[in-house]
Amino acid sequence: MGILDHVWLGVVAVFTEAPVASLFGVPISITVVMVVLGFLGGIVVGAAPGLGGPFAMAISLPILITIFGFNPDALLPVLGFMIGIMKGATVGGAVPAILFNTPGTPDSLMTTLDGFPMTKKGEAGKALRVAHFSSASGDTFSDLVLFTCAPFLAIAVEAYLDFPEKAALIVLSLAFISAVVGDSVWKGLLSALFGMFVAYIGTGEDTHPRLSFGSDALAGGLPLIGVVLGVLILGEVFKALEDMWREKRATDAIAATPPSGDNRLRLRDIRRIAPFVGISAAIGTMIGALPGIGSTLAATLGYATGRKLHKGDVPFGEGTPEGVAATEAANSAVSGANLIPVLSLGIPGNVAAVFIILATETISGFNPGPAVFRLVPDQINSEMVIAFGLFTTMVLANLLNWTIGGAFMRSMGVMVRIPKQRLLPIVLLLTLTAIYVQRPEMLAIYIALFFGFVGYLLRKLNFSVLPFVIGFILANNLEEAVRQAFSATGSDPWFLFSSPISIAFMAIATLVVVFFARGSRKPARKP
Amino acid sequence: MRADLWSLGVAAVVAVFALATLLFWIPADIETGVVETFRRRVIIGDALAPTVVAIAMLAVAGLFGVTELLRPRRESAPFDRQSALFIVRVAAAIGAGLALMVYTGPLTVDAINALGGEIGSYRQLRDTVPYKYLGYLAGGTVMVGGIVAVVEQRLARSAAVAAVLAVLVHIVLYDLPFDDVLLPPNGDQ
Repeated sequence: MGILDHVWLGVVAVFTEAPVASLFGVPISITVVMVVLGFLGGIVVGAAPGLGGPFAMAISLPILITIFGFNPDALLPVLGFMIGIMKGATVGGAVPAILFNTPGTPDSLMTTLDGFPMTKKGEAGKALRVAHFSSASGDTFSDLVLFTCAPFLAIAVEAYLDFPEKAALIVLSLAFISAVVGDSVWKGLLSALFGMFVAYIGTGEDTHPRLSFGSDALAGGLPLIGVVLGVLILGEVFKALEDMWREKRATDAIAATPPSGDNRLRLRDIRRIAPFVGISAAIGTMIGALPGIGSTLAATLGYATGRKLHKGDVPFGEGTPEGVAATEAANSAVSGANLIPVLSLGIPGNVAAVFIILATETISGFNPGPAVFRLVPDQINSEMVIAFGLFTTMVLANLLNWTIGGAFMRSMGVMVRIPKQRLLPIVLLLTLTAIYVQRPEMLAIYIALFFGFVGYLLRKLNFSVLPFVIGFILANNLEEAVRQAFSATGSDPWFLFSSPISIAFMAIATLVVVFFARGSRKPARKP
Repeated sequence: MRADLWSLGVAAVVAVFALATLLFWIPADIETGVVETFRRRVIIGDALAPTVVAIAMLAVAGLFGVTELLRPRRESAPFDRQSALFIVRVAAAIGAGLALMVYTGPLTVDAINALGGEIGSYRQLRDTVPYKYLGYLAGGTVMVGGIVAVVEQRLARSAAVAAVLAVLVHIVLYDLPFDDVLLPPNGDQ
């Protein structure tokens, strides 16, 4: 079976398996329904203040697993829903940024710079249309790069990397993520090491579960969902609640500006913004393909590049559509490319990819990594079918984005009226319930709350939580790769330096840390 | 306290934790060594990964501490008395909510039995309406309403109503559609 056969089987699986309804006599599969629901839900969540795709993914995953069960048939509906949320939230985040100067997600912060001034000039409709067009364009471009790059990268990894090289690659990825995220490479490394250490509690190959204090509760290891949701979601909720508690400011009444002038997106507008969309989409895709670098940096770089290129009458920052286009195309182009490291290397590079890994680890039957794209003569690689099914759901979500996404997004302005200080405690209880549904014992809730406090402390001390989560997820993979490499090289203690490729990976890991450590010292030398 | 002193404190705590792990925790709580000989083959033991991570933590904490010493003095502290106050209040709201969640159902059933109701144990009723919702409804409402009250620094009636409605929506979302899902705390009973 060739690659094209697997592509076709992936498309067929998405559109034909488990039909639940029919439209004009055409059966609609459950995966299609889940992509639509996820996409619309993602827009709603993205438009809500203080929420974002990760919140929706965290809350919905246990419900989806309860509905679909722990079997491979559940993979495409669940992953399709996650992909829908990821894409919908990216588009929806621009709504409060443009209409109310309140970025729904951190990467929409730059959208406020031109989006809100356009609203004040009565051009809110045009700003939303520009944001939607640019976001959908950047996202589509990024997905096309993912579809073409991930399989080839995975095949190359599988062909050239053995156990020592794979272990060195995980070390490199952890070093890179630790170095580039946050303001200090040392803080990033400590965060990742702490995450790895936590992952080693209660695990191991010996009959005695290590580092468990003899406790039955720790003997099986700390629960993946409890730790990840605690640090990522509960920690963020606690920090946001404290910020609001400190501010305790009354919500300002928002003066609505009536629409005026031409609010439609004309062909001449598209011609105007097209160069900015193109450049920002390329920037966002490149940034997204590197693990750990988020969409906020992509949006900032896209905006800065656009400002340099711009020669229009209205300067950047004063309500120009090019400013909105440059930001939205860049931050949306991150989402597809972010899946390149997870699908080709098995290394999650951002929060959305962490949830894809959580879903696949919980359901089983699909292990993101280079083996996914391995061709076996005369056999179907079911994981490759799932991967191409996943790509199909991304295309489907993009089609939804191009067709109904714009109108649905523009109707979501009402979401900003929901008071954040009432929404976040509800999200807290919802997350705890989701964790309990997955593992029905109060201990799971206590563990999640403990790691929520850890996540809160990390944020307060300005440590990035992403290296912690990725260190926690990759720690056991790294240990397994190290065990196999040690065994395969005849117990060579220098196995990480046994081939030019692994030496190169280790050297790059060291250089990345040294480079960013030097960079982070520079501002300190200023008086 | 100054921000740079906080960073130095974090570096010191991590270094002490790593040292204690290396010297006491790993030797006491891992039965295999860094490497082991199994059937005349040298294999990696369970102690290797935590040992390497603890050594790396010690080294990085040292480098972090030295870097922070070289940085100029910064006044803004990341964690102050206000933060501590906030955490204590939110922890109280969550603690009260969890206590109600765990004990409301069993205590109600015990009370009914004590009054001669003879309805059986809570364990027998943990998947029966209305008993299965008592703890979640009471605890969830207090948790959500309590945190809102902490943040808004007042107890608004609308917040209490919103908390009850939110918990009811959670029940509709998680419990009504599924026969095999147990809301907290019923899985422990």
